[in-house]
Amino acid sequence: MADRAHSLAVSDRMFTRHGTGLFLLGALALALVLLGPLFLDRFTQNVLTRSMIYAMMAITVDLLWGYTGILTFGQSAFFGAGAYATALILTHIGGGMQNFALALALSVILPMVLAALVGWLSFYHKSTPLYASVISLVVPIVLTQAIFAGGSFTGSSSGLVGYPVMKLGAANYFRLAGVALILFAALSWIIVRSDAGRVLVAIRDNPLRAAYLGIRTQKVQILLMTVLGGIAGLCGFLYANAGRIVAPEIAGFGFGTQMIVWTALGGRASIFGPALGAIGIDYLGAQLSGSMPYVWQLIIGVLFVAMILFVPRGLVGLLPRRKHSGAAPALVALPDQRQESGRDALLTVSGLRKAYGNFVVLDGIDLKVRPGELISVVGPNGAGKTTLLRCLSDGTETIEGNITVVDKDIAGRPPEDIVALGIGRKFQVASVFESMTVAECLRLARTTHERPSLWHRASTIELPSAALEILALTGLNKKLGEPVSGLSHGMRQSLELAMVVAMQPRLILLDEPTAGLTKAERTLIGEVLKRLTQNLGYAAILIEHDIDFVKEISQRLVVLHQGRLVMDGSVEEVVNSELVRSIYSGMAHD
Amino acid sequence: MALLLDITTTAALLFIVSAGLFVIFGVLKIINFAHAAWLTIGAYTTVVATRMGFSPWLSLPLAVFVGGLLGAATEIAIVRPLYRRSLDAILATWGLGVVIVQIITLTFGRDMQMPPALITGTVDVLGMPYSSYRLFLLVAAVIMGLAFVLVLERTRLGLNAQAVIMNETLARALGINTSQVRLVTFMLGSAIAALAGVLLTPLSSVDPTMGISWLIGAFMLVMVSGTSVAALALACLCFGAAQVLVSTWISPILGSVTVAVLCAVVLRLHPKGFARG
Repeated sequence: MADRAHSLAVSDRMFTRHGTGLFLLGALALALVLLGPLFLDRFTQNVLTRSMIYAMMAITVDLLWGYTGILTFGQSAFFGAGAYATALILTHIGGGMQNFALALALSVILPMVLAALVGWLSFYHKSTPLYASVISLVVPIVLTQAIFAGGSFTGSSSGLVGYPVMKLGAANYFRLAGVALILFAALSWIIVRSDAGRVLVAIRDNPLRAAYLGIRTQKVQILLMTVLGGIAGLCGFLYANAGRIVAPEIAGFGFGTQMIVWTALGGRASIFGPALGAIGIDYLGAQLSGSMPYVWQLIIGVLFVAMILFVPRGLVGLLPRRKHSGAAPALVALPDQRQESGRDALLTVSGLRKAYGNFVVLDGIDLKVRPGELISVVGPNGAGKTTLLRCLSDGTETIEGNITVVDKDIAGRPPEDIVALGIGRKFQVASVFESMTVAECLRLARTTHERPSLWHRASTIELPSAALEILALTGLNKKLGEPVSGLSHGMRQSLELAMVVAMQPRLILLDEPTAGLTKAERTLIGEVLKRLTQNLGYAAILIEHDIDFVKEISQRLVVLHQGRLVMDGSVEEVVNSELVRSIYSGMAHD
Repeated sequence: MALLLDITTTAALLFIVSAGLFVIFGVLKIINFAHAAWLTIGAYTTVVATRMGFSPWLSLPLAVFVGGLLGAATEIAIVRPLYRRSLDAILATWGLGVVIVQIITLTFGRDMQMPPALITGTVDVLGMPYSSYRLFLLVAAVIMGLAFVLVLERTRLGLNAQAVIMNETLARALGINTSQVRLVTFMLGSAIAALAGVLLTPLSSVDPTMGISWLIGAFMLVMVSGTSVAALALACLCFGAAQVLVSTWISPILGSVTVAVLCAVVLRLHPKGFARG
């Protein structure tokens, strides 16, 4: 209950912060659509009703493409599926309250099922955005062909017309479409500004980092596509009722690409831009395309190309950009939590071999890591150190041998599953979210611990004290509200490190975490790592070149040379061995 | 027997249509959505050439010329600035396609054109009459495939292209002028696509939107084959066969989407497609 009161307070503040202006804008829009029919002639009402339905479609495309980075040409398929579900029921079963309800239900469920299927086809571990785009092209084409193949049942190329529809009248359809659009736009606006909305943008900006934060990116993408498929189906239901006709074109790829044009011209990732783009272009098109159909299309095409080239953010991008508004959230320290230490091995690697074709990168690696241990992996460039970390953190890499984390074989598990087992990885080149602020990055690192809210942004971020220390070291705690894109190389490094520590993994994999930091910062980070492992029972595997730093903080050293693990022992043992000296003296020169 | 001929000639047709797209995808790693427009332009060069009283054969070099020129312009004006935004590059090429189709519509009208065919009549294959034009396509596809392999293996451009395909950054570091390779590849791909458009004319209706119907199949075939010519040939043969069989025994309407659907499923189950390694 307290939680609820808290969230209400926050959303209250959100409203005051983003201004009553937007609230007034919504009220004004609502008044316009409710009173509009008094001033507009019937033709304009009909055109605008259609435009507003299209605007909702543009928002679905914007959520997928603008916010989440899924370039889809296929939203028309779900729209068409909803519209056809409605028209088919009304044509073949007839009108009446019951059938309208049935049509409404099916026009949502059917596209959702279809969208879930398309999502499954499009998003899997290591699928590419290009592949998803091409699949989204195939779907509307297949659906259109299916409609053509349906003969008199689906009306083939001439579509379905003359079925009974809900008798609301043009004016009320206009109001219904308007209210639906305003509600959907407002809802979308709230969601994209919430913490959950940040997860979508994280997937767009850097899907790899998102997965390595334990975010189930494919699941989120499929879920989003399914929900928006349902919304598109609902739009189809409205369209079939308001327009009294369905034709195969509305399910086709041409219509799907039109939505992209509205979104791109209006301004992707802005909710309002695409909605206004759809209304503007569709309304103008209806006025102009009668007299000059090809020229109109030509103008739109030229504008579109020019926009993509020169103003990728669309018309909204021409408006002055608002600064990141509001105060950055406060950081709250979590009480220190000791990791369970009563087990022998956290990580066991036995007989690991990794080869790319004939090129063997790792061979015969055996390694055990116990809780509380900090192990440094040293060796010359090309010894296979980074590959080792990759194999430990991604079970879908094809390897020979076994890797178990807390007694579970990781074979076949994608990174996000391995994160759930308790492994966090920091990449060699700092991998963060370019379009976000420092605070947003940190919040995302906590996604698996606290479910992000769909409605608001939490005003505090709870972080383990070690993460706070890392932030304080480089002064990041004073830059919480600043965009990541403006940070220095060293700051990015420590931000990513703080993010990984914030995940509270049992085992931290660190690939040159201090590269680009000053000597002083390096020493401080070393202290934090020592405390994490020795006092709090975390385990860490560290790749480092700075042998003095390594000697300072490690309990054990592992030496990799030409893909083989040539030594594994205490710091003393390894540093003083002949073998390592010979390898290292070679390395000192390259 | 007729079925077998249909399968091989359909595969040949698919290969010819996909080839230009394949070249561009291999080196630039983008799907050129203007591909449909290049096909259409190629077909309309036949219309223009024959209207001016030339032999339809002349439209082959003409199409290569026009396609190459437009390809170069597109690469410089649209694709190059979007080098780091590959999804945007795809969108921009699609927008360009729309523009070209509208210009063609404004110039030639929406109606279907009927340029004279390159080759007419039939020849007897094992005592059975078969369209000589389809057999000619088979020969054309084989020549095209061999030319690909020769260019890739035997010329400097081919070697440079291979280097870019494997590792563009490294290729640049080695002093290969990668932006030149990209330009020439885009030109070549566009020229081949326009050539394919000419070769399509006797089989497909010639109208401003003719390219679209070939587009998706070509996309999917190229996605499945990655960067290997052999894989493309194999994919064309397999999926061409599926298309012919579905069209013959089930329904021609479903046949037209067979290639796309099968490719999508193959890629989902085996993401590397037909390409090895």
